[in-house]
Amino acid sequence: MACLPLLGAAPVAQIQAVLAKPKVFCGRFDQNKQLVGLKKPVTSNGRFCVIADKGVLWRTLQPFPNTLRLTRDEIVQFRGERVGMRLDAGKEPTVRMVNNVLFSLLAGDLGQLEKLFDIDGSIEGGHWNVTLKARAPGLAKVIGAISLAGGVYVQQVTISEASGDRTTIVFTAIETGDTAMTADEAALF
Amino acid sequence: MKRRNLLAGFWGLVVGLLLLHNAYLWLGERIAPDTDILALLPAQRQDPVLQQSFARMAEAAQQRLIVVVGADDWAEARRAADAYRAVLKSRDDLMQLNEHITDQALSDGLAQFQRHRALLFTGEDEAALRDQGNEYWVDRALANLYSPFGGVKPVAWQDDPFGWFGAWVQARAQETPVRPRDGQLYVGDGQREYVVLPITLRVPAFSLATQQATMALLEQARRAAQKMVPQVEVLVAGVVVHAAAAGEQASWELSVIGFGSILGIVLLIWLAFHSLKPIALVMLSVVVGCLGALSASWLLFDRLHLLSLVLGASLIGGAQDFGIYFLCNRVGADAQVDSWQLLRHLLPALLLALITTVVGYMGLALTPFPGLRQIAVFSALGLVFAWLTVVFWFPLLVRPDTLAKIQLPDWYTGSMAHWPLLGRDRRTLVVAMLFAALAIFGCSRLGISDDIRLLQNPPKGLLDDQIKLSKLLDLPTPAQFYLVRGATAEAVLQREEALEQRLDPLIAKRLISGYHAMSNWVPSERTQVARVQLIEQKVLSDSGALAVLAARIGEDDKWLAATRQRLRAAALPLRLDDFLKTATSEPWRYLWIGQVDGGYASIVALKGLGRTGLPILENAAAGLDGVRWVDTVDAISRVLGYYRHYMSWVVALSYIAVYGLLYPRYRGATWRVLAPTALASVATLALLGIAGQSLQLFHVLALMLILGVGVDYGIFLQEHGARRDPIAWLAVVLSALSTLLSFGLLSLSKTPALQAFGFTMLIGTTVVWLIVPCFDNHPVEKEEATAGF
Repeated sequence: MACLPLLGAAPVAQIQAVLAKPKVFCGRFDQNKQLVGLKKPVTSNGRFCVIADKGVLWRTLQPFPNTLRLTRDEIVQFRGERVGMRLDAGKEPTVRMVNNVLFSLLAGDLGQLEKLFDIDGSIEGGHWNVTLKARAPGLAKVIGAISLAGGVYVQQVTISEASGDRTTIVFTAIETGDTAMTADEAALF
Repeated sequence: MKRRNLLAGFWGLVVGLLLLHNAYLWLGERIAPDTDILALLPAQRQDPVLQQSFARMAEAAQQRLIVVVGADDWAEARRAADAYRAVLKSRDDLMQLNEHITDQALSDGLAQFQRHRALLFTGEDEAALRDQGNEYWVDRALANLYSPFGGVKPVAWQDDPFGWFGAWVQARAQETPVRPRDGQLYVGDGQREYVVLPITLRVPAFSLATQQATMALLEQARRAAQKMVPQVEVLVAGVVVHAAAAGEQASWELSVIGFGSILGIVLLIWLAFHSLKPIALVMLSVVVGCLGALSASWLLFDRLHLLSLVLGASLIGGAQDFGIYFLCNRVGADAQVDSWQLLRHLLPALLLALITTVVGYMGLALTPFPGLRQIAVFSALGLVFAWLTVVFWFPLLVRPDTLAKIQLPDWYTGSMAHWPLLGRDRRTLVVAMLFAALAIFGCSRLGISDDIRLLQNPPKGLLDDQIKLSKLLDLPTPAQFYLVRGATAEAVLQREEALEQRLDPLIAKRLISGYHAMSNWVPSERTQVARVQLIEQKVLSDSGALAVLAARIGEDDKWLAATRQRLRAAALPLRLDDFLKTATSEPWRYLWIGQVDGGYASIVALKGLGRTGLPILENAAAGLDGVRWVDTVDAISRVLGYYRHYMSWVVALSYIAVYGLLYPRYRGATWRVLAPTALASVATLALLGIAGQSLQLFHVLALMLILGVGVDYGIFLQEHGARRDPIAWLAVVLSALSTLLSFGLLSLSKTPALQAFGFTMLIGTTVVWLIVPCFDNHPVEKEEATAGF
């Protein structure tokens, strides 16, 4: 009996071993949202950057530009050049948690995710799939289920919200190293 | 003869009943004294609603206890909290953990707002709805639509496309930084992570038994947490912790002062009489006095304050005066005089001594301070019972041959002969002028203080914990708030909203960090109706934001109609009564006082309030109907100030009353009885001024008692004449020394009020004692002074 959970557990260590952990990586994302009540899916695309120990930059380019910057202590939204909205951890303590989760999702840091989610998944020939279920019932009610797929990098994230809204994000053209970030992206950090 | 025995028998019956009643109270009822020091303060007579709001704020705090258990990371904090919790759960008869405000309750709470979500928005969004055009709202809807991380929104996009309900939910969540996390309550300050444990006491916080049990349990829990995680940080705040600290201090002081004064009296009497019999007799009168005071006070008040007992303990210092006076006179009298005759002879002086002392205590009973009234009644009754014991029993118990003659040492009798005496001479004039100069100098330096900290002086560690915890949890201040009143609940909510219009700019100016108000959760009906119109006009109309949005995202009229329908359906009026019934409202219910005194009332509580903001916040209520700024600290200080002033008059009038009482017996010599006490009071004030103290209520109260005690000495000496009757002088010396012992010990108290009281008594009694022989008017003849022996 005691062994059963082990059999069902995701091969987290194996997946971690496959994943690259660059200090900086950027790429293109294509986002597809299927929302309850809307006939057509809502699609957008843009660029993203994940910087270890700093945070995430999320630049929607199409259909209209919108930039989000998530760091340890705040979430800032830029509308064009100016700051549209700022949410800091001092006022909203969940900011830290949310940012931590998002960073871990994009970087595929299953070790961090395991603290909040039950992880179930498989790995075959360098390609892996995992499903995350929030451990806290309240969180599960809001987030629903998250699934991740990838190889050396996370290639796809799917978030199914309890409300029925569903978001799929595909990552491509991932670059690492000093040249990964453009100059104006670096300026935002 | 018969009547005397009858009286003594009757008194025996009374004492027997007292014994039975006391045994019943302590052993049967297991009474425990109150320790709430603020119970000393008067009820707000003029305004029952205001009083209820005070009570509401106090109640909200009184039975609550907040513990946070912190460590460097969440996992450690949780382990420590688990250990802590396990200990607390072993005593669920004593306290109850309120962790039910978890994820489940939160999302259930949200569900109940769903049907009203179109009406619930923040003040900012309401202004934006009024002022911004379609473009602003369409942009916001699109930003929400394309936002990658929708999971933090409370409802699906189509149910809140413009995100105003989401913003409202976030604003409500931000009223407290505490968040559910892994089934526990969590708060962090960026450095440490804390588990929050809200606790409700199941037994009254102001009972000594509760306090002892609670403190022991908390300490045990802290140790358990520390064992689990050595670097754990545990912060505790709650009324019970302060009450326990105050109670512990008071009970320690009670035993020291009580024990000290009894020991002092026993020693003194032993030194004077070299016999145990007088000790037993004096103790008998004191014990009957205490028993009587306890019984009668309990019957009158139904409760007893610990402070009454502490001050009452010093009553022991006053109650023995009568016994000592009788015994000294018995020893000094001829063996032929029988004890009843002696009593008849002493009765006028004894009666005057009792009445003048009781008059002093009755002055205290006139104050509307429930605690002071208790102290006064307790003390006055104790004196009366002790006095009656002396009068009814002592002549029976003390036969002329009961006590051996005593030999006073020569230096003692000699000292009286050389005691300076006032007269129409240069020496008296010089002394009088020196005294006047000293009095004027001292009194002119005397400041005034009515600070509430006179009453409570919590240990620094407790205060530090509380300040840190308030910051961490962003708790509203319990001492300052707004009281909002109206004829109906709707009127109250409308007035709250008017107040909030003025408070919002103060948040922007960082004078406060926020406020808790019922209207944050339930807008007034008027506002809800206005919001429906606003949404219809700006969002749902054919040229409104929703139509523009539909075109932008390429949805047809059918979608538009359906979404309109959804929003209209979610604009059901939210009613206060319904909200108050939900679990979500539990932490906020204390804000709603509800129906009271023919109207309705509520509290608007403030967060992050600093001292500098007080006048501005007081001003914010100005001109608003039904809104009142309440500052309990200020109110208490004002009350203390008012009664300091009031009691000063009572003291002055008491001197006149006592003069009136004494005049029929002493006629032209009455001033000689009263002047030493009056001068001692002035000297005390002057010395307080020179010592740099500020005059406060408790100094004035002590002056009242100095009057009661000091006049006794004047009476004793005036009755006999110090020079001719060393026995009267002996009575004064013994009485004064024992008063000094008991009240002198009171000045060691750590409670500033008691300390001031004791200090004043110490100086005043010493001065009366030293100067009272100077006012003697009997010519001295040396041979007569020793004739009695």
